[in-house]
Amino acid sequence: MSYSDATYLVLFLPLTILIYNLMPQKHRWKVLLIASYIFFWCISKKLIIFIIFSTFSIHHFGLWLKSIQEERNKLLKEAEKESKKAIRAEYLKKQRKVLLLGVLIHLGILLVLKYSGFALENLNALFAMIKIPISFSITKYMMPIGISFYTLQAISYITDVYHEKIQADRNLGRLALFMTFFPQIMEGPICRYSDTAMQLWEGKKVTYQNLKSGLLRIGYGIIKKIVIADRLNIFVQTIFEKYSEFDGGIVAIGVILYTVQLYMDFSGVMDIVIGSGEIFGIKMPENFRQPFFSKTISEFWTRWHITLGAFFRDYVFYPLSLSEPLKKLTTKARKKLGKHYGPLISSSIALFCVWFCNGLWHGAAWSFIFFGMYHFVLILTGNIIEPLVNIVNEKLHIKKENWIYKTLQIIRTTILVFIGELFFEAKTVKDGFAMLNRIFTQFSFNGISTGAILDKNGMDLKDFIIVGIGIIFVYIISILKEKNVDIKKWVFGQKIVIRWLIYYAIIFVVIILGAYGMNYIPVDPMYAGF
Amino acid sequence: MDRLIEILEEIEDGVDYKNCKTLIDDHYLDSLSIISLVAELEDEFDITIPTVEIIPENFNSVESMWKLITRLQEEG
Repeated sequence: MSYSDATYLVLFLPLTILIYNLMPQKHRWKVLLIASYIFFWCISKKLIIFIIFSTFSIHHFGLWLKSIQEERNKLLKEAEKESKKAIRAEYLKKQRKVLLLGVLIHLGILLVLKYSGFALENLNALFAMIKIPISFSITKYMMPIGISFYTLQAISYITDVYHEKIQADRNLGRLALFMTFFPQIMEGPICRYSDTAMQLWEGKKVTYQNLKSGLLRIGYGIIKKIVIADRLNIFVQTIFEKYSEFDGGIVAIGVILYTVQLYMDFSGVMDIVIGSGEIFGIKMPENFRQPFFSKTISEFWTRWHITLGAFFRDYVFYPLSLSEPLKKLTTKARKKLGKHYGPLISSSIALFCVWFCNGLWHGAAWSFIFFGMYHFVLILTGNIIEPLVNIVNEKLHIKKENWIYKTLQIIRTTILVFIGELFFEAKTVKDGFAMLNRIFTQFSFNGISTGAILDKNGMDLKDFIIVGIGIIFVYIISILKEKNVDIKKWVFGQKIVIRWLIYYAIIFVVIILGAYGMNYIPVDPMYAGF
Repeated sequence: MDRLIEILEEIEDGVDYKNCKTLIDDHYLDSLSIISLVAELEDEFDITIPTVEIIPENFNSVESMWKLITRLQEEG
């Protein structure tokens, strides 16, 4: 079962809504919890044990940290002012050990299941290269779907309790629901305890307003996923697998359409996920904010997979760049290198770690590490040349607010994103470079004029037209969103006839133009694999 | 509070710190400025700013930063 499946949309979700609403308010969270465990069982079977373990584990670590904090507070109450600092420091040390153990356990499970094979493979290759007669046997582990997402939620929970941003939760059921809530368990958004736990627990009644608002969002998501993304799948896969058979221009189209597919797939599923939550009155954090209007790569990552970027910012970037050694480095470097390049050194070290983790988080392969490093280099370069760009702009009287300048920035950023996604999807880094080489050295569209492009890859002219219209439709909606137009409010403000025409239009577009049935292979949500 | 504004001006000048309430939201202070700012504030006011406090609400205006500083000083 996945979020764009008929099983989820016409059976699982409606049934859950029905039972949820029939229950008295205080029992509604139980319905969500049972539904979430059924959903997780359907997608991961016996591997459900991992998420159960993680839930028990964070419950325990939360309470452990809480007991240390309570003990400290008791001592602080009775202590003289001078000794308070020492008490705090002593208990901080204790807490830090518990935090470290908790994080290591969760990270350890993820590392073993997801990365041990890759690490050992590379070690074996290294030993063979330097002729050391050691070879590790490699075990391929089964991994529960969603582990990369819920592990980050678990880590954020323990860390937030450690920082006393939140109180440790004694209620195991509430914590279990926070970890497994079915709409977000496969692909996020990566929620913080403070985002969703209490909302999930509340058991608000499903209102007509929430229902229609959630369904409209789900409808938009299904169009993105089934009508656009899934339709592109065969074409994109063919180009990436057999790129050597196509001209550079067509490979470039494949790369652009892969990025379109990834965006429509992931953001479409997010619309379904957030819409599902909305029906239950739960507001989940947004994961996308019109990423293709970004003027720089840094900005792109504040608009694309927002909750992952925010996780790395809050739990890796700031803790590292503000750690004692790096803080000292910043202060020293600022005196010597000035206010821009001074903090750049320590932030670059932290940024490197962020992008190494970001790349690796997507999967255990060199192409993902390359993807991370590619973004690190781009952002670092942007930071290094920023003062120079400012000087040039000033000399040439170019204003940053100028729309031509902004448009050129957006185009540049979008091209850089396309190249990044090329390496993200390419089988190996070598394949990625070969594709890039083909685009730049053999650029032509011969396949299009001879019609070969249409025959080879399972997409006919009708498919391309539908995708084209779909992209224009999503682009218009994105412009409106960028201009802060409340589209839902507009739809719900229309007269009943027009409103229902819109609802029926969405349903018929999905039924008639959806890429499902005999000619299409069902496509699992792309981010569920991470 | 004047010292705080002086520190901010040393880090990023040309911003109307007295009146601006969206220093983070409108990108007047980016992550590089925040890293410098935190180091300076910790030195100047003898406080430790935990990373969990580095949120827009605490850095969007001089007033919110001042509130954070006094709170952390009181907590010792």
